[in-house]
Amino acid sequence: MKALKDALSFADLPASERIGFAIFIIFCLIFPWATKGSFAQAVMIQFLIFCLYGLGWNLIGGYGGQVALGQAKNVGMSAYTVALFMVWWDVPFWLSTPVGVIIATVESFILGYFLFRLKGHYFAIATICVSLVWQQLFVNWELIGGARGVELPLKETPNFVYMQFTSPIYYHYFAFLLVMAAILFMNWFRKSRLGYQLRAISSSEAVAESLGINIHWVKVKAYCITGVFAGMGGAFYAVYYNYIDPFSVMHLELSIMIALMTMIGGAGSMWGPIIGAMILIPMDRYLGAWLGAIGITGVDFMIYAFMVMIIAAYEPRGIWGIIEKARRKP
Amino acid sequence: MEMLLSATISGLLMGMLFALVALGLAIIFGVMNIVNFAHGEFLMVGMYAAFLTATGLSIEPLLTLPVSAIICFILGIGSYYLLVRYLLRGPMLAQLLGTFGLMIFIRYLAMAIFGPDYKTLEQGLLIGKSIKWGPVVLSYSKLGTAVISVMAFGVIYWMINRTRLGMALKATALDVEAAGYMGINTEKMRGLAWGLGGATVGIAGALLTNFYYVFPTVGMLFVMIAFATVALGGFGSIKGAFIAGLIMGLIIDIGGTYVGPQFKFALIYLTFFLVIIFRPQGLFGW
Repeated sequence: MKALKDALSFADLPASERIGFAIFIIFCLIFPWATKGSFAQAVMIQFLIFCLYGLGWNLIGGYGGQVALGQAKNVGMSAYTVALFMVWWDVPFWLSTPVGVIIATVESFILGYFLFRLKGHYFAIATICVSLVWQQLFVNWELIGGARGVELPLKETPNFVYMQFTSPIYYHYFAFLLVMAAILFMNWFRKSRLGYQLRAISSSEAVAESLGINIHWVKVKAYCITGVFAGMGGAFYAVYYNYIDPFSVMHLELSIMIALMTMIGGAGSMWGPIIGAMILIPMDRYLGAWLGAIGITGVDFMIYAFMVMIIAAYEPRGIWGIIEKARRKP
Repeated sequence: MEMLLSATISGLLMGMLFALVALGLAIIFGVMNIVNFAHGEFLMVGMYAAFLTATGLSIEPLLTLPVSAIICFILGIGSYYLLVRYLLRGPMLAQLLGTFGLMIFIRYLAMAIFGPDYKTLEQGLLIGKSIKWGPVVLSYSKLGTAVISVMAFGVIYWMINRTRLGMALKATALDVEAAGYMGINTEKMRGLAWGLGGATVGIAGALLTNFYYVFPTVGMLFVMIAFATVALGGFGSIKGAFIAGLIMGLIIDIGGTYVGPQFKFALIYLTFFLVIIFRPQGLFGW
């Protein structure tokens, strides 16, 4: 009960943040009605998916300070579970999603249990290695489609059970619900025991340990929650696009993108991942579409790499850090 | 048996190159405890420098070694003074993602300039020739690469252990403050570590151009091998990097022969994973 109250109460935030949050909600609610362009709607849904990933990554990477660069494998596992269950046994979305999320979480648990014996750079590199192993396995594993990927069979009529709709509006609102749930969870999380423990670990492991926090266990728990977020995002991704391949859901580039996005927005702050996604995703899609049309590729990645370098060098708390600094001054 | 023999020899030869790639990473990590994610991109820059000089001036590819070394030396020093110096003040997350940003920046810059195509050298002293030695076929390019790699490795090893400059570098690695009190310009030493890291990997890149494709994303593969190598050898250990490089070469070639070529890099990651779980300090780490 207390947890629910904590999740729903934003009273401890300054008024400006509450107003910003309200504007965000209203914007997301009216967006599908205010725009007719299908590209804009697709970008919006992408934005919501990345919000979900970013909010999850923020837990381990931002609050916990552990640079885990392997979100994509959790996204991929869940997406593949949903897709393959449907292809092989015609299992509806609502039944396969819990399985997918559980698989992603269990993988996170096992991996976290071993990998959190490592610290800092070692941990980061190890997570990259593991994601590359998964990536190669998925590319070469013929049983699950290999490099060709998996196509979800289409039903004849729009179908709630399989989450197949003709209009993107339904997907938009479903993604929005997921993001809202994630935000409420994070709102609870930052006031929870686990949240304080994780932040203590991030600022000093030695102090946290001397206070009696079981560092290893807290990190593993946070990593599992991150896996749940990624798993939800992956399951949604599979039904939204109706097609997945190892390059879209399993790729290291996705993990990198999630981390960079959160870092730019502000790792370790409540709104950082959303701000990051708000800047990067539209920029990525529109710039990518525009530059792709005139035949230049990769400039978009250069721009955010540049942003990340600047932010890492001068303001490691990201755009949110800049906002907070400006707010404190007057 | 013949297969095993030729895989072993080719693995050892490649291992010497991997050791040279890992050397720069080990130096940088040893001196300032920062992992250079952009290391593979330095290799790629070295490869393009060698490739473009060799084809542009139509000279012998081996003569491009100094060009690549100098370009990557400047790249390393530049990265230190423009970026890494500032990263060192921040938390670890910023350090990690900062060099990560550098990696992506250089990679996509190369992609924008050179395009995603694979390029290879066709003319050269070592290219396309091989000797038969019993059942084993040895290509000149791999043999020459291995010899030059070991020489370069030896020079750096000598420099670090026997010269005043190397001693200063080692002192900075052990304790920055104490080294500063002894009158060592530690800031310069850190810059030098990046320069040396760049130069060694530049040489490796120029050598690699003799028998490998040049393309913008080539760095990822080799940087992962290099990470695995330094992890196995012990981060910051130069002797460890050499022995681990040989082991990595053997794993790739023997593993690739018996398990299947598409999984040979997965084997590297798996090795790395096992090492880091069971012996996080590596073979020679401290």
